[in-house]
Amino acid sequence: MSANCTSAAAVSASKTKTKKKHFIGQKVKLFRASEPILSVFMWGVNHTVNELSNVPVPVMLMPDDFKAYSKIKVDNHLFNKENLPSRFKFKEYCPMVFRNLRERFGIDDQDYQNSLTRSAPLNSDSQGRFGNRFLCSYDHRFVIKTISSEDIAEMHSILKKYHQFIVECHGNTLLPQFLGMYRLTVDGVETYMVVTRNVFSHRLTVHRKYDLKGSTVSREASDKEKAKELPTFKDNDFLNEGQKLQIGDDNKKYFLEKLKRDVEFLATLKIMDYSLLVGIHDVERAEQEEMDVEGAGEEEEYENDGMGGGALTGSFGTPPDSPGNPLNCGGFFGPGEFDPSVDVYAIKSRDGAGKKEVYFMAIIDILTHYDAKKKAAHAAKTVKHGAGAEISTVNPEQYSKRFYEFMSNIFVGPTPPPPTHAQLRPGGTGPSHLLHSSSSFLFAPARKLSH
Amino acid sequence: SGDLLAAVPVLGEDTASIVTPTAIPSHCASNMASASSIAASIASKTKTKKKHFVAQKVKLFRASDPLLSVLMWGVNHSINELSHIQIPIMLMPDDFKAYSKIKVDNHLFNKENMPSHFKFKEYCPLVFRNLRERFGIDDQEFSNSLTRSAPLNSDAQGRSGARFHTSYDKRYVIKTISSEDVAEMHNILKKYHQFIVECHGNTLLPQFLGMYRLTVDGDETYMIVTRNVFSHRLSVYKKYDLKGSTVAREASDKEKAKELPTYKDNDFINDGQKIYIDGENKKMFLEKLRKDVEFLAQLKLMDYSLLVGIHDVERAEQEEVDSEDNEAEDDGESDGGGVGTPPDSPSNTLDSTKPLSPGEFDPSIDVYAIKSNDGAPRKEVYFMAIIDILQHYDAKKKAAHAAKTVKHGAGAEISTVNPEQYSKRFYDFIATILS
Repeated sequence: MSANCTSAAAVSASKTKTKKKHFIGQKVKLFRASEPILSVFMWGVNHTVNELSNVPVPVMLMPDDFKAYSKIKVDNHLFNKENLPSRFKFKEYCPMVFRNLRERFGIDDQDYQNSLTRSAPLNSDSQGRFGNRFLCSYDHRFVIKTISSEDIAEMHSILKKYHQFIVECHGNTLLPQFLGMYRLTVDGVETYMVVTRNVFSHRLTVHRKYDLKGSTVSREASDKEKAKELPTFKDNDFLNEGQKLQIGDDNKKYFLEKLKRDVEFLATLKIMDYSLLVGIHDVERAEQEEMDVEGAGEEEEYENDGMGGGALTGSFGTPPDSPGNPLNCGGFFGPGEFDPSVDVYAIKSRDGAGKKEVYFMAIIDILTHYDAKKKAAHAAKTVKHGAGAEISTVNPEQYSKRFYEFMSNIFVGPTPPPPTHAQLRPGGTGPSHLLHSSSSFLFAPARKLSH
Repeated sequence: SGDLLAAVPVLGEDTASIVTPTAIPSHCASNMASASSIAASIASKTKTKKKHFVAQKVKLFRASDPLLSVLMWGVNHSINELSHIQIPIMLMPDDFKAYSKIKVDNHLFNKENMPSHFKFKEYCPLVFRNLRERFGIDDQEFSNSLTRSAPLNSDAQGRSGARFHTSYDKRYVIKTISSEDVAEMHNILKKYHQFIVECHGNTLLPQFLGMYRLTVDGDETYMIVTRNVFSHRLSVYKKYDLKGSTVAREASDKEKAKELPTYKDNDFINDGQKIYIDGENKKMFLEKLRKDVEFLAQLKLMDYSLLVGIHDVERAEQEEVDSEDNEAEDDGESDGGGVGTPPDSPSNTLDSTKPLSPGEFDPSIDVYAIKSNDGAPRKEVYFMAIIDILQHYDAKKKAAHAAKTVKHGAGAEISTVNPEQYSKRFYDFIATILS
């Protein structure tokens, strides 16, 4: 008989959730999920990353790479029916471009693949604009958003310039980090998905969340929203609370420099209606939550096996993981501490701050193009479209200015001196009049926006 | 810090540089995968002699023929898929009707080694996985043999000019077959599998390891993979295809002009060829043969052959010495033994880690090998097994009636026997030549 033993033991072992952290052999990936579309997503990402591993990395991207796609259609018969549908299609847009972007954002392809395939992505209750569906990789490192075919078209329109922008800023930006874009077809239904890096931490919980646009109308969380476990508050809530983020002068300066570059870039692409997503982690509250849970003495078994990437070993005699922090390494990170190469948007509160907090802030929802909006507005005879969207009569440039001005005031402390011409991003594509006026709105005294 | 030259612009550095696999500073650890894949892809182009791969080796599926690239890609894909499917405790009837199908349509992507549009279908994946296991073949190794480097054209000709390839490491044979053969395989698969279960994989029948349909440029090609009857290491200098029949069983002049001609029954007899194996080996061999041909007769299969290959130990040693003298700096196809052994001659591929002396073999790889007995005039190793078992009697009779003659295809023979008679005549002939 052969060396490969097939026994019932082997079959059942793979079904029990092993807590092993180090894998010598290749881990079996079942692509098991609550819905076929998630299984197809996992299978597809697994497949495309494997394919890419056999395609040599080119010295540089070519124009064709921005028009390319890979498509695969699976038709199985009486085979592999347990976790996957028998028929499905998976398309990846511009594989080489996104591979290059992942690299520039410091994400290893194997890690990316593992995060999305070792265990099924989790549904997130956060809602994007127009009720787009959100999912989070099981290790909370990546966000998967369901988008429209119009968004796909817009992504293709901006991809070259976006990539160039990322090259020039060396991946150092508050813009969404686009990491992969796919079309899945299951039961004849097409779903488009884009993967971005999670703005929030994969470890530290966010206790309070804001979606800020710097605009004036209807920017307040509804009662229904406030009833949620983690409501998304908005501009008016932020202002009414007298909220200020205590990040210290250097951090603030650095942050606003990036923000300025980013919104200028968005304005040149005529993109608008984006938001600054802000998440606040309250260090003391988190410590209290952890103690509460440990006190209750629960031993929950969680979905993941604690293998969310290289930073987690937890095998050095650390205290047991608490369910509240599925990937907490116990003694590896102190309270409120983080790995900046993983939680790239995290900023600690400054030393003198009243509360010890960690802030996560980045720009989201950058795929609304002004021309598309205007077309839709004319068609609908009104600029308002979709639930929760706002009536906005500004153009992208005005939007960016208003946005920047609002954000520059959400922090404690004086606003930084305006950057001189020389300090502005080299090769910047901002229209010249924006450079002149930047000084004017930066020197304006900090004021609340009047409605 | 340090010398950083990578083929891709590394985070923070936008240099388009020459590809050199140099040391990568640790702060760029996130880019290790891509840098090492560049190194690996260079290594794989320059026939690396490394045996142990730490990182995953890049497989380019490069081949002279798009069909071979698709085969390599397909086998790689199929084995990867299977690695995520739990091995069932036993096969179910549906498994014998199952298939997996995949269609690839790329646009401006991955065009260097693969066609942009192709299809790959695998028949009964779970059945063949189970068969591989019963034949002692690990799936990863199977995949490696067929995918690390392109299969080689073989000048061996099957019946009706079927095309042959061998895996680059010579462990497996890939035969192009007809859609009728695929249908016949489906017909016999359950019983074949059952037979393999009962004899514990111990048989002279072909070891069927995978069956596929490839579609490239709209053309469909059917392929079946079997274990090589001959050795992956020891060269065969004389080859016979024996059926035990009497008519036109002689190699043509054209055949004799080849490097390794396929001789037949009459040549065997006229040459006075003998197979010198001892009593025990002979007994075991004939027992297997008897069981096998009885099985084939039950399935009404006929026109199969016994393929015989002879390795002459002294002759091989001499060849190796000759080639060492003449081609001291030849870049051999094979990987070296790596343990201070003499350089490999091109005829020896893929030595295992411990070097084998002349005429020695690993019986778990060269499963058909039988050494000559002590009293033999020459030290030889024989490789003998049954091939070409997919000809069904009923299909033959139909074709015969259609063509008004029993003769079909170049080199096939006029045979008026039925499968039972065929099997008896076959067995008797082989038993005789072994005496």
